[in-house]
Amino acid sequence: MKIHKYLMTVIWVLAVCFAPSPVTGDEKVLNRWSQKQDFYDKFGSELEVRATYYSAEYIEALVQVEAQKNLWTSDETEQYKYQLLKSLSLDEYIPIHIAFDNRGPAMHMSPFDKLATLWIGKNKVSPVDYDKRFNFRLQGKRDGLVFFPRYNEKGKPYLENAKTIRFSLSNAISSTTMDRSAVDFFWDVHRDNPEGLYKGRAAARLELDRLIKRIEKLNAEKRDLESKLNELNNELSSVNKRVEELQKQ
Amino acid sequence: MKKILALVAVIALVAFAAPAFAAANPFMDVPMNHWAYDAIGQLAARGVLSGYPDGTYKGNQPMTRYEVASAVARALAVVDMTKASKQDVEMLKKLVVEFKDELDALGVKVDKLDGRVAALEAGVGGWKFWGQFRMDAKWASEKDGLYTTGDTDFNLNRFRIFGQKKVDDNISVTFRIGKSGVNTVAWERYFVTAKMPWDVTMHAGLYLTDWEGDDRLYHGSENDAKFTDRSMTGFWFTKDFGMGMFQVFAAHFDEDLNTSPTQKWFYDNNLGQYILKTTHEKEGYEFGARFRVNFNENFWLSGNYIKRTFDDSPFLGESYGRPDPSPNPSGTVGVTEDKQAWWVALGGKFNSGWTATFAYYDVDNGGTNNSGNAYQGIVNIDQSVLKFTSLWLEYMKIDDATFNVWTAGTWDTYGTVTGTSLGNYDDILFVRADQKWNDKWATFLRYFHGSARNPAADNTKNYTFGVKYWYAPAMSFELAYDKIESAGTVAGADDHVIRLRTIVDF
Repeated sequence: MKIHKYLMTVIWVLAVCFAPSPVTGDEKVLNRWSQKQDFYDKFGSELEVRATYYSAEYIEALVQVEAQKNLWTSDETEQYKYQLLKSLSLDEYIPIHIAFDNRGPAMHMSPFDKLATLWIGKNKVSPVDYDKRFNFRLQGKRDGLVFFPRYNEKGKPYLENAKTIRFSLSNAISSTTMDRSAVDFFWDVHRDNPEGLYKGRAAARLELDRLIKRIEKLNAEKRDLESKLNELNNELSSVNKRVEELQKQ
Repeated sequence: MKKILALVAVIALVAFAAPAFAAANPFMDVPMNHWAYDAIGQLAARGVLSGYPDGTYKGNQPMTRYEVASAVARALAVVDMTKASKQDVEMLKKLVVEFKDELDALGVKVDKLDGRVAALEAGVGGWKFWGQFRMDAKWASEKDGLYTTGDTDFNLNRFRIFGQKKVDDNISVTFRIGKSGVNTVAWERYFVTAKMPWDVTMHAGLYLTDWEGDDRLYHGSENDAKFTDRSMTGFWFTKDFGMGMFQVFAAHFDEDLNTSPTQKWFYDNNLGQYILKTTHEKEGYEFGARFRVNFNENFWLSGNYIKRTFDDSPFLGESYGRPDPSPNPSGTVGVTEDKQAWWVALGGKFNSGWTATFAYYDVDNGGTNNSGNAYQGIVNIDQSVLKFTSLWLEYMKIDDATFNVWTAGTWDTYGTVTGTSLGNYDDILFVRADQKWNDKWATFLRYFHGSARNPAADNTKNYTFGVKYWYAPAMSFELAYDKIESAGTVAGADDHVIRLRTIVDF
């Protein structure tokens, strides 16, 4: 019995105080924002669910890891970052990447948006878009993005003053999770620094994209107003013409 | 030129759509033995496909993913979902899932397609079905009956068929029919799930909750929970809020109404004497409440309480006047008195891939001197930390000999190790290490050591080594060797088994 106590004490000290993990640097950042949960049932079935929140530090770390892995130049790295940020649409949405590895009974998650919820403080937010492949029967691996709105109806950002957010998948996603209350992931978003993300050439290109979009919008509005003005001018001229005709009579 | 532009578009979309897609090579040829390749051929042979984008079949040339997706897009444009055979539509659906990114690049919106195949996905009459099948082949040394199979046993020991139907967006019905062990086929679950106002979810029917599983107080593929993980008939309510949830349930159990009534002794405090009553033991109510709150992404706390009250109404008779039931005729004085258990658990992540959990349990099984408490500590290290193995280290300190748990066989994963009488042990150490070598192969080791409370009794040991192989995500085999020594602290109660388990999920 004494041996057990000593053994457990040593393990706890190691785990809690020192945790001499070989996981360091970028990998540590990736692990923090990309969380995994394993579920088992008594049959021997296994389900792994991984959820990733795209924090600024996660994206930066991911870009660096990919750049190192693929031996990219700084131009290629910026290009990758630009494409990544563009596809994530961070200015409009809060994207969460989900990956399932289901080695158990088939999952039927249609309609998937009814099974996913994002809690930000007291706000309960539902997806506005998601990878429709989640609606199909699933055995094996599948991953995709779920997009939540970044702003409420009044245009106020949900994440403003948010500390920790909770991404919750219903226990109904699989019979392997059915006996649990839910499949929850938590991220301390207040420990992120979104400002750090929008630097460098990728940020300049994104700003350029935004400005081009804005110019397109303004031009469309201008065209609309010009057409209305033309209509008014035409109407005005026809009225004037008629007035002149009447005056002549 | 257009083709080149389309290919560039595919590269841009697939390579940068998301990090997970970044590693995918969109131009990886589809080998001729790939299921998608065969599926295209079969659809073409049945006339669902009239040809590939350039109007010709590719003959013996391997196709690119883009070409396969083009063929699928063409099929989707011409096929009549309502007239195509179910098999063909199912095949098309699989192809759509496989080539979703390429189809997106081609402008075929899966969103629109979703509506077309929704009817099929909904299943027969709106029901979805899935299930599991498990067969064990055991070769055991069974002198003490710890594996309860005989020396050799081939046994289809479990199967389950699930069905689920969505009544509307907020209401669904779920059932499970199955066979467990030697039991006959039975309805193991049937319940309604309804989303109520104020973020409350209700389950009503024969349902199961596993609060200890929720808090990861036991290894999921291993031993059972101590007090929950039992199915009951009743009502469950879950109220979600930002950083946690609150649950309550009320259930009634009457499993043994058809069995013969039994005589039990009760002590009546008012009368100051024992009463012999004839009753049904397993009828009564069970109530429970639980909260779990996360303080941040690292730390959480839960509190749990369950109470069982036994229904006295079906008493068939009473007899008074016996001041001391010794020797107790049935040996079960006080068994049907109310029981209750509560526990608190606290958990945290201390480093990437490390988690630690602490729990304190207190159980009162009714009657005098029939309660106990225990402490439990768990450290779980993910394989990503140690690279070659994960590690589950669990230690439990049990303060009282009367600490009996409610779920049978807490550590009885392979054979009868402890039963429910955990009070036989002073402390328990459990270690499990899983090594996932790749998508096909995994190995595991487990070790249990229970220190006997009674100095005259023997310590219990249980150790296992196993290999698991996935033939496909839906089918796996597990070969394990398990050895139990001095089960339940009984000296010489030793057995071992070699077990080959076949698991099929569908």
